[in-house]
Amino acid sequence: MVSWPHWIIVAIIMPMAGAVLTPIVSRKNDKAAPVWALFIMSLTSLAALFLIVRVAQEGPFSYLVGGWARPYGIELHFDEFSASIGIICLIGWLALLFSYHYVAESIPKPRIPYYYTLVLLNLTGMIGFVMTGDLFNLYVFMEILSLSAYALVAVSGERVAEMAAFKYLVMGAVSSLIILFSIGLLYAVTGSLNMADISTRLAGIESRLPVMLALAGMAMALMVKAAIFPLHIWLPDAHAIAPSPVSAILSGLVVKTGVFGLLRVYQIFYGAGTYELAGLNTTLIWLGAISIIMGAFFAIFQEDIKMMLAYSTISNVGYIVMGLGLASQYGIIGATVHIFNHALIKATLFLGAGALMYKTGYRTLTDLRGVGKAMPLTSMAMSIGAISIVGIPPTAGFLCKWYIALGAFQAGQPAFGFALVFGALFIFIYYIRMVNSFYFQPPTHPEILEVGEAPVSMLFPVLLLAALCLVMGILGRIPLSFIEPAVTRMLGG
Amino acid sequence: MIEALWVNLDYAASVVLFLIGLYAVIAKDNLIKKFMGLNIMETAIFAFIVALGVVDGGDAPIMGEGARAPFTNPIPQALILTGIVVAVSTTALALSLIIRIYRQCGTIEADELREME
Repeated sequence: MVSWPHWIIVAIIMPMAGAVLTPIVSRKNDKAAPVWALFIMSLTSLAALFLIVRVAQEGPFSYLVGGWARPYGIELHFDEFSASIGIICLIGWLALLFSYHYVAESIPKPRIPYYYTLVLLNLTGMIGFVMTGDLFNLYVFMEILSLSAYALVAVSGERVAEMAAFKYLVMGAVSSLIILFSIGLLYAVTGSLNMADISTRLAGIESRLPVMLALAGMAMALMVKAAIFPLHIWLPDAHAIAPSPVSAILSGLVVKTGVFGLLRVYQIFYGAGTYELAGLNTTLIWLGAISIIMGAFFAIFQEDIKMMLAYSTISNVGYIVMGLGLASQYGIIGATVHIFNHALIKATLFLGAGALMYKTGYRTLTDLRGVGKAMPLTSMAMSIGAISIVGIPPTAGFLCKWYIALGAFQAGQPAFGFALVFGALFIFIYYIRMVNSFYFQPPTHPEILEVGEAPVSMLFPVLLLAALCLVMGILGRIPLSFIEPAVTRMLGG
Repeated sequence: MIEALWVNLDYAASVVLFLIGLYAVIAKDNLIKKFMGLNIMETAIFAFIVALGVVDGGDAPIMGEGARAPFTNPIPQALILTGIVVAVSTTALALSLIIRIYRQCGTIEADELREME
């Protein structure tokens, strides 16, 4: 069962076909769309589970699409990093469940099937992105996920939603073009599109200039996708205005694809072995550190709860990029595990914020005062999320930040370890503000005390994710030791 | 220097085209003009990648009667075919967003929109 070779292609085709079929399935009955989407995502998760079990048992494996031998055909390559398909399926499934009631109120009825189509397409793009071993295929999946993400930002129909989506689209499209240009350059010098093959061929390339240009272009464009500090301007509006389940997907997963792309680029260049990457590493460390501080700094001044969470994403992606740039064993392990843990934490917080907005209709911290008494479970889950994201043990955020700090010491750059702790302090300040206004301040609107908990379809994902934040803190060794062989292989060349 | 430019005239032309597009994206206020700039950038990149595969005096790589080497590399063309499909979808999405911005705000000038926010 587990060793059936075709699960990897099923995991891509299933959500893609499901997405296209959603409007047809729900033609007669518009209640059918969410059920169908959940059904498709469940089957995809099953395939993902088999893939993860297989990679844990056998190590990395490849799948040749259509049986064409590499490097001529498209190769799907599943390694330990690709196991992030698990978190994509988990967050995707929970966000779809959360959408059931949330979207029914915030989106006009005839458009609801198209919303589910877009979410499924977005998940398809990400699933393909983490599993592909072909550089051009990577670009195609990136475009699938980016285009559906632009449309999902606009879907809420709020006043500035289209403007935010357009801003996101222009930034995203320019960065995609630069990635395409870099892929073209790499193809020109190596004559191959297969990542592993490019990696071998790059070692013997005489003219370094086009290769370095391609590396710079890719790194910069992926930093736009990952919203690293000076390139982040599209993120706060887009993530704050999108419907809450979409925000959870965008902030937890879509932003990470930029970081994941950087990881893949590093794999190619570490594999080639003969390239000097110190310049890029230093850039990433510095930009990561600046992102941590600036993201946290802006977040302190936000009144809107989702705006605050959006800025917090910028500082957390800063942690991941810094860990990657440190290029030490601990740093990269911490960064990859933080991709996973931050997705859990940020999904908890965004879905929780969505539940609060759904029940109370307010979205600023002042308006939401006293909600802790009205919606105790949701508020508790959000407090757990807040504690996790600051990195207080024994929660999910602690271990990976600890590892990144260790990585800074291992790389001989202890100053950045302190920058990390300093950033955590900033983050602590604004999450304390959130917890404070939930529990310890008299309500601005007394009627807020009357609202009850959100429906089960919204409460369950929030509570489950909050529980996972705690569990991953206690069982944190599992992802760390799971990813370790992949990182060793990557650094060892 | 000049000679290198002349030999690689096609690459140089794509770079110039790319910069023209980038200028329009950054400097123009009208959203449609901004997006046209983006389309120009797309064309520049497409032209660049297709030019990568060109061989002087190369033939179309179709096997059969009368096929003779050298052949033009078909892979960049196949890639750009996909790239064009992506560009068309991006354009469709962007134009529909612009229409909705116009319906809601009554303008598509970025500076006026910024004032309304």
